[in-house]
Amino acid sequence: MATISSALSLIASALEADQSALNIVANNVANSNTVGYARQVPNWQENKPADIVGVAYGTGVTQTGPTSVRDRVLEERLVQQQQAAAASSSRLSALDLVQALFAPDSGASGSMAGDLGSDITKFFSSFASLEANPTDNSLRQQVLSTASTLAGDVSNAAASLNAQRASLDEEAAGITSQVNSLTAAIAKLNEQIQSVSPDDDAGTLEDERQLDLGKLSQLIGINQVATENNGLSITTTSGEFLLSEGSSFPLTVGTVGGDTHFFLGTKDVTSELTQGGGELGGLLTVRDQDIPTVLSSLDELAFHVSDSVNQQNYSGTDLNGASGTGANPHYIFKQPSTVAGSAAAMSVVMTDPSEIAAAGSGKGIGDNSNAGILAGLAAQSIVRGKTPSSFYSDFVTRLGSTIARAEIENTAQNASVTQLQTRRDALSSVNLNDEAALMQQIERSYQAASKVFTMLNSIMASALNLGVETAVS
Amino acid sequence: MLEHRVHPALKQVIAEASLALARLDGDRLEELALSCEALNRGLGNPDENTRILFECEARNAVQEMAGFARVLEATRSNLNVVHRLGEMRARRLECLDGMDGALGYGRVRHGDN
Repeated sequence: MATISSALSLIASALEADQSALNIVANNVANSNTVGYARQVPNWQENKPADIVGVAYGTGVTQTGPTSVRDRVLEERLVQQQQAAAASSSRLSALDLVQALFAPDSGASGSMAGDLGSDITKFFSSFASLEANPTDNSLRQQVLSTASTLAGDVSNAAASLNAQRASLDEEAAGITSQVNSLTAAIAKLNEQIQSVSPDDDAGTLEDERQLDLGKLSQLIGINQVATENNGLSITTTSGEFLLSEGSSFPLTVGTVGGDTHFFLGTKDVTSELTQGGGELGGLLTVRDQDIPTVLSSLDELAFHVSDSVNQQNYSGTDLNGASGTGANPHYIFKQPSTVAGSAAAMSVVMTDPSEIAAAGSGKGIGDNSNAGILAGLAAQSIVRGKTPSSFYSDFVTRLGSTIARAEIENTAQNASVTQLQTRRDALSSVNLNDEAALMQQIERSYQAASKVFTMLNSIMASALNLGVETAVS
Repeated sequence: MLEHRVHPALKQVIAEASLALARLDGDRLEELALSCEALNRGLGNPDENTRILFECEARNAVQEMAGFARVLEATRSNLNVVHRLGEMRARRLECLDGMDGALGYGRVRHGDN
């Protein structure tokens, strides 16, 4: 009797185990297109043998639940690369907008930042024209007109840059609520995972946590710290806690010097978040580093051009035979007091073209020596050791180089993320015996790419080396 | 003839190599390696016009080449991580096999990766 009962029990147990395993397989199939789902495999446990009249009989197997196939090191590496890729993507998008401001205007009559190079040339050329006929009123008017175009384009560029900073500032502040809701969700998942599955993989709960971690890493730079009972703590890349197991610490914002700053508790973590990565890191890098660098260059240009032209005009003699005085300095541009803010404030204050001092100091009104000196400022190193045109050209080139570097970085980061995602997806869909084949796929691709690179590098080096044969042996 | 076949392609070849590497497409990369060998042979003794045009094309492709170099560098980093993972997994499996042997178990453990 006992034997029949045990045999039935053994069969029933095996059937139940098979059914559970089938359910797991069905679950894998059903979730094959679910983002972030990690394949599950059934765990089998041998039942204790039954002792029947001194003979031990096996009692089959029990299915003790599924385990997700995931690799925590790979997942963490993917999260790190995602935050780097998100940072470079958001920085590149913002920089593209900055560069668009300085794209030369295709129209002939537009007044844009992109025309600054020609504005500078036209402004100083108008003094050269005046030098040829210093008493001509239309030529004097032309000087004020080109000055006005130059000042307008510089101040418009500064205003546009400040508007872009304000927009980035707003966008960055908006990320805070997304970060806080994700850290709160992860903290809650931590609690569930720790109570439901403190020793083993928690399956879909861990999938959900991993998905949230992926989203969080796209927003800000994070570090993960595994804790007891399958828990997880998250810090910023500088080590400030965003969440510790079941508790999350909200990121708050405040205004410092007109800009949004980010706080954890009372600590200002803005600079740490800037360097940390994620979308927020990219936005803050453009807001706090890239745009201020461009603005600073525009300020230098505006300050030195305005100041040099004003001082030279002050020292000459105008069409009425007068020189500049404290009460009426004959300034063409609004005289800047400091470099900072000069671009935004640049404007033409002279309204009477007869106040342009074409004649030299103490000379008669038909003299043109001061107009010659004013025209000659175009070739003088008046802006940080450079001529106005070459200073502007250098700064546009530097901006272009910054964007080119950001593009290269973005390409590399996105490629790295694609590789890791391919690798993770493969891990979740193949058995362990295919691991070596996957490794070989990466090795093979790397080796072939190295060969392509070496070959191209040699070809290009030869092509760029004038007078040397193009082919490589 | 050479100009039409070679010059407009250089930038695209490099961009495609970056893309293939991102996708770990070994077949395509090996094809590209063969193409580059053929390109190299085809440029044996270019005439002056071809040489100037190719030099211009090479200058235009410098940024793509820098991008490819960074993708290659990122791949090497990923490969290092994957190698370390493989070693860790192998050590772990050896350790578990040893424990099973010591405890008298011989069964396969599922999902233990």
